[in-house]
Amino acid sequence: MLVTINFDAESVDLHEVEREYLYGRFSYGRYGMRAGVWRLLDLLRAHRLKATFFVPAFDAENNPQQIEAVLQGGHEIAARGYAFEDHSQLEGKERETLERAHQALQKLTGQAPLGWRAPRGLLSPRTLDHLTELGYLYDSSFQDDDYPYVMQCASGKTIVELPTFQMLDDSTFYGAYHTNDRALKTWKEEFDALYEIGALVNLTLHARGNHGSGRASRVAVADEFLTYMKQRAGVFFMTCAEMAVWWQQHHPQTEPAPF
Amino acid sequence: MKGKYRWPDGVRCVAMLTVDFDGPSHEIGRKLRPLGINSWGRYSGRRGVPRYLDLFEKYQIPATFFVSGYDAEYYPDVVKDIHRRGFEVGAHGYLHEGWALGEEESELLARSHHILADLVGQAPVGYRSPSGRKTARTMRLLKELGYRYDSSDKDFDLPYMAHIDGKRCSDMIEFPNNTSVLDDMPLFKFSMTPPSEVLNLWRREFDSLYAENGYFVLTFHPRGGWGSGIPSRAKIIEGMIRHIRQHEDARFFSLAGLADWCISNHACFE
Repeated sequence: MLVTINFDAESVDLHEVEREYLYGRFSYGRYGMRAGVWRLLDLLRAHRLKATFFVPAFDAENNPQQIEAVLQGGHEIAARGYAFEDHSQLEGKERETLERAHQALQKLTGQAPLGWRAPRGLLSPRTLDHLTELGYLYDSSFQDDDYPYVMQCASGKTIVELPTFQMLDDSTFYGAYHTNDRALKTWKEEFDALYEIGALVNLTLHARGNHGSGRASRVAVADEFLTYMKQRAGVFFMTCAEMAVWWQQHHPQTEPAPF
Repeated sequence: MKGKYRWPDGVRCVAMLTVDFDGPSHEIGRKLRPLGINSWGRYSGRRGVPRYLDLFEKYQIPATFFVSGYDAEYYPDVVKDIHRRGFEVGAHGYLHEGWALGEEESELLARSHHILADLVGQAPVGYRSPSGRKTARTMRLLKELGYRYDSSDKDFDLPYMAHIDGKRCSDMIEFPNNTSVLDDMPLFKFSMTPPSEVLNLWRREFDSLYAENGYFVLTFHPRGGWGSGIPSRAKIIEGMIRHIRQHEDARFFSLAGLADWCISNHACFE
């Protein structure tokens, strides 16, 4: 079990409008910082869970108190672009963007991030190579397996993939204006089937006020789902970095990265 | 529309489980790389198809797999395995071309035809158009390549004999399907319906079609994202198999197997 929180704040809204327009309908990212992330931290504390927060570095720089609280809670902070860039389109600027985000997170948290998740799930054919060269241990952006796996990159290094799953992502439901009940019902059915085969459950939540779980009623959905999973025997929670280390130690076989 | 069609002796209803492989071709054809959020097609080859093969073997279901030429090149061992384990491999475009093909159609149909034939050692006899895109020329081109059936049209509740250049063919048949209800894609891509509700929907569809003409074609995809290769949705396919098997006079066919019977009895069909 991985509980992952996509921190996605103002960096997302700034792809829509300039800073002076970050009000009204473009303030859902700020909701995540003012309200959502605090509620999610309370939820994790109540469940005694350590989660992994994927954080666009720009949002970390602009919300240092929230980052401090995440660290205080003992959670992992991993990378998610500098300002929520589409990495499939960065071309020559990709490396410097990854380095800038990497250094910014390292400066704020005191530790180099070990993991990365692509903003909007978009990578270039070079992304994994860059990540391995910067010392990343894992990526969590693909949606192509029920278990982690290890890719051999052109850089000569390996990277663990911790696949995500669209149906265990709150934004899939809330972003399409489905109800809390529908999300919860689906999550329970998905979990039951994954539990049966002993698969990786990679739950993805967002702090935002629109497609995220930061609202009180949606934190209650996440609460009920976490409680539901914890009732089953043999369910074990890890941070993404812990899982990546464990997986690589126990499953050393690799496969070529695509492209 | 009731009960006027006949099926093989003792059969009240024919049921066909059809799988559109839809691997990375689906993304490559749209100029997307199969990375990150666009890696759903890779799930077909890694998990979805192997899971289906085990499921169909367990229940001895003669399912039909429609495979794009590109996917056969990307996952040759998986596609060979489909054939080796006794399931039908049909054609499904080269790059899952979900757009108007114009003059290219002939070349693309021939290319995928030969890729599949060379890979599994047997030429496909069936075709399903990617994204349901078909033209007035498709049937003639398929006939020239030796196909016995197409399964792309949405215009009827029963098979019917193909018409080419206004003439009824007695050796080629159309197997209509329905992508808006008897297909996983819209239910998991647009309405995000929980798997248990989809199973109920499909059971009711089966019951109604069983009561009418007894022709049921279900289509699903082994890919990630909106596909049904994942554990929760593979379970509802198993649920459908169990539901259909409760009807003693329902029988599963591959589309190629049903095409053989229909063509031998072509006078029964429009």
